[in-house]
Amino acid sequence: MIQNPNDRPVKDKKIRMLIAGYPGIGKSTLSLSAPAPLHVDVDFGIDRIEPQYRAPYIQPKDYEEIRHDLGMDVADKPDALAAVKKELEPFQTIVIDTGGKMLTLMSQWAMKIDPKYGQRDGSLSLKGYGFVGREFQRFMDHCFYILDKNIVIVFHAIEEKDGDNVKLRIKVEGQTKNNVWEPMDLGGFVEIQGNTRTIGFSNCERYFAKGTRGVNGVYKIPTLEADTPNNFLTKLFEQYNAKSEAEVAMIAAGKAKYEAAMKAGTDLIVSVTDSDTATDAAQKLSALDHALTSKDELRKLLADKVADLGLKWNKDTKSYEKVEA
Amino acid sequence: MSLLVTQSLISSWNYLLRENPYSDATTEDTAMDEFITVLRRFPTPITEAIQNGIDFEEMVTRILGGFYVSDKDPWFSAAKKIAGILSGAQLQVKVSKHIEIEGNDVLLYGRLDALKAGTIYDIKFSKGYDRGKYIHSPQHPMYLDIVPDADEFSYLISDGINVWTETYRREEVQSIQYVVQLMFGWLKDHNLWETYETCWGSAK
Repeated sequence: MIQNPNDRPVKDKKIRMLIAGYPGIGKSTLSLSAPAPLHVDVDFGIDRIEPQYRAPYIQPKDYEEIRHDLGMDVADKPDALAAVKKELEPFQTIVIDTGGKMLTLMSQWAMKIDPKYGQRDGSLSLKGYGFVGREFQRFMDHCFYILDKNIVIVFHAIEEKDGDNVKLRIKVEGQTKNNVWEPMDLGGFVEIQGNTRTIGFSNCERYFAKGTRGVNGVYKIPTLEADTPNNFLTKLFEQYNAKSEAEVAMIAAGKAKYEAAMKAGTDLIVSVTDSDTATDAAQKLSALDHALTSKDELRKLLADKVADLGLKWNKDTKSYEKVEA
Repeated sequence: MSLLVTQSLISSWNYLLRENPYSDATTEDTAMDEFITVLRRFPTPITEAIQNGIDFEEMVTRILGGFYVSDKDPWFSAAKKIAGILSGAQLQVKVSKHIEIEGNDVLLYGRLDALKAGTIYDIKFSKGYDRGKYIHSPQHPMYLDIVPDADEFSYLISDGINVWTETYRREEVQSIQYVVQLMFGWLKDHNLWETYETCWGSAK
């Protein structure tokens, strides 16, 4: 079924998010503030979280166990998959803590299923990195599209020198560090500024994050007191969806205007056959009700057309003329 | 007189400052030589890396144009993925804008790899890639300045196998005009203003 992206309901859109920060800064507790989380505690670090903020968890010893618990190994068996989905029904968010450790388990699994993905020293081969990158994408797609869950993946951050600057990046080896960002809707770096913890979603000198029109800039993470609910991400996701809805409405209006201008302009340009029709089209193109970059795009289309016809703009007469060979 | 400014001129100047911030015309170093070559508008040699970039972009253009490209080519899959993103876009769009800086009429000029529905695209072919690689590039601030109707700039980066995107929204990008102003000051301080005016100036 073909659907118009502008008609897509966004109220309950699931979100894929990456959280990065130094060890011990509170990333796990923050990640568990997402709606109804299932804590995939790959790091076995649940003891470091205050008891009141802990959530139902699994502690997988290998990647096969993650695949099994989340139904990836039965994705092509509808009945078995339905049973896994039923078991996961109470959860809205899958929290992977940490992504770096999961990628390590994923790498070990890859080398186990095919030795060519590994090298003698136990690290991944180039092919292995490619395979793990694709498996990570499959994992994300399974949780997002098949299980219909939010995904929050926690990564440790490390410092990297860049000239005089110190930059933060996620602690993942090889090209995978770039690939893990690709499917994410949001990616934020947690830092402490004074006594305040913050999470930043906009690109800056310190890090390259991932925000959207709805969620960007630096957010203050509230300090958790005894009676404070741990719901920062739940609220952020609500904000994201509310803004997405407004954004979709705004984009729909702009896009409709853009499509109309492009259609009218393209029709005009198709009708250009000589200098007179070209001059006429140029005037009419300027008068169109443009949106987004329709004006520049149509100008380029017209430029290509007049070039094909051997026409040139005369600044004095303000019209196109045939260029004599 | 109108003074032309392109992103490649600013890039070359940025590179010089990053490589050796204490360079001047009397210093012997490669970055300064390269900048002087660009400043004098001498042709720059086409390195293997540059040629790879040209070939990859050409492959994307061929796929978009419906021309035959062998699916056995190791770059095919990545080029097809980028072509998918660029489907329906206008390619090689020349754009320009006049601005005034310190009383000079400055012509910002650029050629966009692709433009579609409010997004400017630039194809990069790079052996190595780290997320955020282009954060200091003058390309996105400059092109977003020249095309006021575009609201974002997306680098489509490939190593021939993988494809990554690095997107900058208008609201997170600083104005290029301040950078141009700084470059003008630097050219004057280093007695290169005259060379710049001679090589990049033109009748209005």
